[in-house]
Amino acid sequence: MKISLTVNGEKRALDVKPETRLLDLIRDDLGLTGTKEGCGKGECGACTVIMNNKVVASCLVLAAQADGAEIKTIEGLGGKDKLHPLQQAFIEKGAVQCGFCIPGMIMSSKKLLDENINPSEEDIKRGLSGNICRCTGYVKIVDAVKEAAHKIKSGGEENV
Amino acid sequence: MKKQGRGMASIMFGFGYGEGFPDHSIAEVEITKDKRIKVRTAGADLGQGFLTTMTQIAAEVLKIDPSYIEIVGQDTHKAKNSGSTSATRQTFFSGNAVREAAEEVMGKIYHYGSLYFNSNHPELTVKDGELYACDECEKITYWELAEIVEQRGKELKAEATFFPKTYAPDRKTGQGEKIYVAYTFMTQVMDIEVDTDTGLIEVMNVYTALDVGRAINPQNVHGQIEGGTVQGLGMAMMEDQVIEEGITINADMTNYLVPSIQDIPNFESTLIENNDSGGPFGSKGVGEPTIIGASPALSNAVYDAIGVRIKSLPITPEKILNALEEKK
Repeated sequence: MKISLTVNGEKRALDVKPETRLLDLIRDDLGLTGTKEGCGKGECGACTVIMNNKVVASCLVLAAQADGAEIKTIEGLGGKDKLHPLQQAFIEKGAVQCGFCIPGMIMSSKKLLDENINPSEEDIKRGLSGNICRCTGYVKIVDAVKEAAHKIKSGGEENV
Repeated sequence: MKKQGRGMASIMFGFGYGEGFPDHSIAEVEITKDKRIKVRTAGADLGQGFLTTMTQIAAEVLKIDPSYIEIVGQDTHKAKNSGSTSATRQTFFSGNAVREAAEEVMGKIYHYGSLYFNSNHPELTVKDGELYACDECEKITYWELAEIVEQRGKELKAEATFFPKTYAPDRKTGQGEKIYVAYTFMTQVMDIEVDTDTGLIEVMNVYTALDVGRAINPQNVHGQIEGGTVQGLGMAMMEDQVIEEGITINADMTNYLVPSIQDIPNFESTLIENNDSGGPFGSKGVGEPTIIGASPALSNAVYDAIGVRIKSLPITPEKILNALEEKK
């Protein structure tokens, strides 16, 4: 079936199977492998992307459901040449260990900061409670989100 | 009612394979004409931050800014075997291999540099990627020296293997000459609160003192303490693989719980930098030791809080409530 959607600001038209998940479309059809598949059933948060301004587990969304949608993945935030303040803060604070959960963590953090640029520690924990990390113990992830909020407030607006 | 408790645990952990196993790591360091220093080592980027620590070690030995160092490998097609990324061994094993290979290259820099300048070793200064015989004298860079050395049919390149000998312990006494290459020590204290109505435990504070020998990258070592401890708390409080007739019946994250960001305590950690003689720059392994203290420290804290000993993991709310019931 033919669908069209906007991914990271770019219009894409694709022919997908009825059972194709949004995650497969992103990784296999578009080659955007920043988004990871962890559990494949909406429990771990590794595949988190932003769809029509909502955080979704892309393993639980059928590609067909994303027809006409606007999708943002980790690649849409920034790359090596120009990192998003969140990506920069995760590096500076040492919030990345194996890194597998980080794209999902950052997309959930992005949504959190879009809605609340002054999050308390509790707000951050609630906002990231759907993203599981096995390596970091989350401490430096909380630090990184605080730091990113600070960076964005103090003039990093053009980066967002 | 909520009851507070405090518990402590100390651990000692021999890392690497030890016990006579031929555990080793091979690394190669090369100064290339394209203004890079290539470090070939196959270890994966885990632990204390393999790429970061190996870069720091090579840069320190070769007296140059870390931005010139390029780690090539993480792949045994591109680098020789570094051994497994396990047993809390990569910083110590590959760190030593990289350090030794870099020292070999430093030896060649001095050797060929002295030949070029017709100087003696003590007269030659090598730093920041340059070498010179006196402050006002001609300076050449490592890359220029690599070019000069190449014209002689040689290379500024060296390989080193770190291959320490260990011994199996005596089967009867458990004693041995050197069973592991080194030991990491850690003490942890935990403050907890037990809800005697629900059986829920909340871990408030974790205080850690970890003898790391030397923290090559302190931020990463703190990250390992936090990550390892939270994994350890998962084991202590929630992680429970349920097997029925050979089949795991809770093989998903809804029924096999691991700690989420909502479950983490406050951390206060102190690094004890009591140089280990065998490690690169005195450093030691950190990974697994940070997991082990959580269960005993937590169960001691539970005992302190409610006066009962829970003797199986995980210490779930059900076990707490049952134990309180029995105590009545």
